[in-house]
Amino acid sequence: MASLGSSSSSATEYTVRVPKNTTKKYSIMAFNAGDKVNCSTWTQARMERDMSARRMYGEEEMPEGAAGSEFGKKQREEARRKKFGIVTREFKVEDQPWILKVNGKAGKRFKGQKKGGVTENASYYIFTQCPDGAFEAFPVHGWYNFTPLAKHRTLTAEEAEEEWGRRNKVVNHFSIMLQRRLREQERGEEEEDETEKAGKKKKKKGGGRGGDLRIHDLEDDLDMSSDDSDSSMGEDGEGKSKAKKEKEAKGKAKKKKRKSSENEAMEDSDDGDYEGLEVDYMSDESSSEEEPEKAKPSKGEEHPKGIDEASESEEESEEEKQNEEEAKEEDEEEDGKKTPVQMEKKKKKDSSGESDSSDDSDIEGEAASALFMVKKRTPPKRGGGRGSGGSSRTGSRPGTPSIDSAATSNTLRAAANKLEQGARKRQPQGPGTDTPAAKRLKMEPSSQSPAPSGKSTPQPQSGKSTPSSSDVQLTEEAVRRYLIRKPMTTKDLLKKFQTKRTGLSSEQTVNVLAQILKRLNPERKNVNDKMHFYLTE
Amino acid sequence: MSDKAEVNLSGIKQSQGVWLVKVPKYLSQQWNKATEKEKVGKLTIEKKQGKAEVCFSLDEQLTTLSSLGEKGTSLQVPRDHPFTMHTVGGQTLAVFTQNDTDEISLEGMVVQRAECRPAVSDSYMKLKKLQIEESTKPQRLSQQLEKAVTTIFKPVANHTVNVKYEKKKKLEGKMVRAERQVVLDKLFSAFERHQYYNIKDLVDITKQPVSYLKEILREIGVYNTRGAHKSTWELKPEYRHYQSAEEEEAMKTA
Repeated sequence: MASLGSSSSSATEYTVRVPKNTTKKYSIMAFNAGDKVNCSTWTQARMERDMSARRMYGEEEMPEGAAGSEFGKKQREEARRKKFGIVTREFKVEDQPWILKVNGKAGKRFKGQKKGGVTENASYYIFTQCPDGAFEAFPVHGWYNFTPLAKHRTLTAEEAEEEWGRRNKVVNHFSIMLQRRLREQERGEEEEDETEKAGKKKKKKGGGRGGDLRIHDLEDDLDMSSDDSDSSMGEDGEGKSKAKKEKEAKGKAKKKKRKSSENEAMEDSDDGDYEGLEVDYMSDESSSEEEPEKAKPSKGEEHPKGIDEASESEEESEEEKQNEEEAKEEDEEEDGKKTPVQMEKKKKKDSSGESDSSDDSDIEGEAASALFMVKKRTPPKRGGGRGSGGSSRTGSRPGTPSIDSAATSNTLRAAANKLEQGARKRQPQGPGTDTPAAKRLKMEPSSQSPAPSGKSTPQPQSGKSTPSSSDVQLTEEAVRRYLIRKPMTTKDLLKKFQTKRTGLSSEQTVNVLAQILKRLNPERKNVNDKMHFYLTE
Repeated sequence: MSDKAEVNLSGIKQSQGVWLVKVPKYLSQQWNKATEKEKVGKLTIEKKQGKAEVCFSLDEQLTTLSSLGEKGTSLQVPRDHPFTMHTVGGQTLAVFTQNDTDEISLEGMVVQRAECRPAVSDSYMKLKKLQIEESTKPQRLSQQLEKAVTTIFKPVANHTVNVKYEKKKKLEGKMVRAERQVVLDKLFSAFERHQYYNIKDLVDITKQPVSYLKEILREIGVYNTRGAHKSTWELKPEYRHYQSAEEEEAMKTA
């Protein structure tokens, strides 16, 4: 009560009272600063508890007595709940949120949710200054956080999910709500046909789509602001609908492209695709040739190593085997396979050597991997056969190319077709043009090789081989130099004489190198399970 | 009770603003013990170098804490409590009150927030120590029994509950078939009260043997095998004349 100026500093004392008998319960109404709420501007306010949660808590009311009721229903329900341990929370009115409406219909609306834990550990007091200068402290019983409620229409959860799925397509977002409103209007019209509200019906029809006057049953939801926006949306919507259509079309085009690119990507990266191709090949002829095939795959799996086996087979004088196998080959339709294999191998070498390796070659190479496995021996054997074969072989050889060529064309075409299909999606033309070209290319060397080899078979050459001049000559001298310096495998040697630099095709290189090696007759040793050649001079 | 919706905005127009002060629990307990004079203490506001320093000092009488539990000596609650002042930055706080009659009025806006801190002293430390001890005590205790419980689970020839039950049954005697008409009357009156009945309940009501009762029921009623009222008996449609609640009300008012 009394204000005593006690100490020297400008201190004032006030009494603090805690009124006891107040009937009022104090609570805090908290707004977010960002909402910029100024209570002094409020002319009128209404606040009620939000009882919408009562439905959840109240059980389904059965009619008590008379119709529809059961004898002892309540007790049974209670007993059942106890048995299962279901504890239903009570519906406390005190804890329900508030609905605050400011300035009537056109004003703002807030929802105030009770904040828990406020009075647990510390108490809040409201200090008010009385006219007599003393302070009065009132305890706070509850704290409610008030948030503004949206007046505009919002999408329901299902609608929102729908729109989310279409977010990449839809550009004109204004039309989303517009459509929804129109739909509701139609629905509202249907409902009203059933009811007896004729007056409203007329009004509604008069409203029309996108019209300025739109009378709605849901009084609270539609407000002035949204009406204005409706009309403006209507105009905008029309203007923008065109743009939307265009963009949608573009979007669809983009989508197609995206899809195709995705497909392409898949094609590129998917190695597994070609396994199918391999199987096709094998299934054609595998049944007839399982035994030799088994032998061949077991020996080695990489086509570049054909030269290894070639040299091995030569040096180790596996003529017998070759004869057997060649005989089998000739008898059966392996011929067809030989040349495709050859062709594939050459193609691969060409492409790899030239490093023009497009995806085609990759596919074709991989597609032919089975072929190589099947017919690994054939290319080397051809070379080997040339080198060491006798007249019988030579005799048979001219035959074989012709047979080959005949048979080859069929199988080559088959092979080419399959490859085309594989690569068609990406480059419909590429394989088509390449394979015939490849065919021709392969045919030529295949026909060529017997001829020169025919010449060379009788006796070892003078030391010069056929290839033309280039940076690096594939000569006996060169090979000798390499072999003297250090032991090398055939693969290493091949690497030295790259087709790019020698100007030879890979097949030719192989053949020539084989000849040279034969002539040199280097020593052999096994290092790391690989056959190395070396010379000592 | 529905709240009256209208909010009384007069308070907010007049008031200059209020303070929201956070007060420790023990202090508010002491305040609750205040006498009729309602004065709990003094608030000292000093202006030092532009800043306002606020301190609250508790009244003498209220400093003695009532004994906590069995402790004889009552502790002294610290007297001085400086206030820490805060701004009402991120929130706009308003105060509203609710009457007994559920009238809502807006009292004012909060202009200043404060925290009431006790000035640290020995007595405060002791008080806190006590509080901690109390709070760390477990709510449930395990007690060791000196003797094992032997009053239950003795083997018994016949349990007392069973004995009582059998006696009761004997008194009542077997259910006798009453006249058909009598039973029908009973049934109809029962079905007037409720629509669906369990057979057990009907037996209870009519005190008839089950087979006899079922015979009669088959005559006048129907057995629900599925639906909301599963395995219950109800009257046949021709015997029913239930009125819905609305019509009943209409009848009452008319």
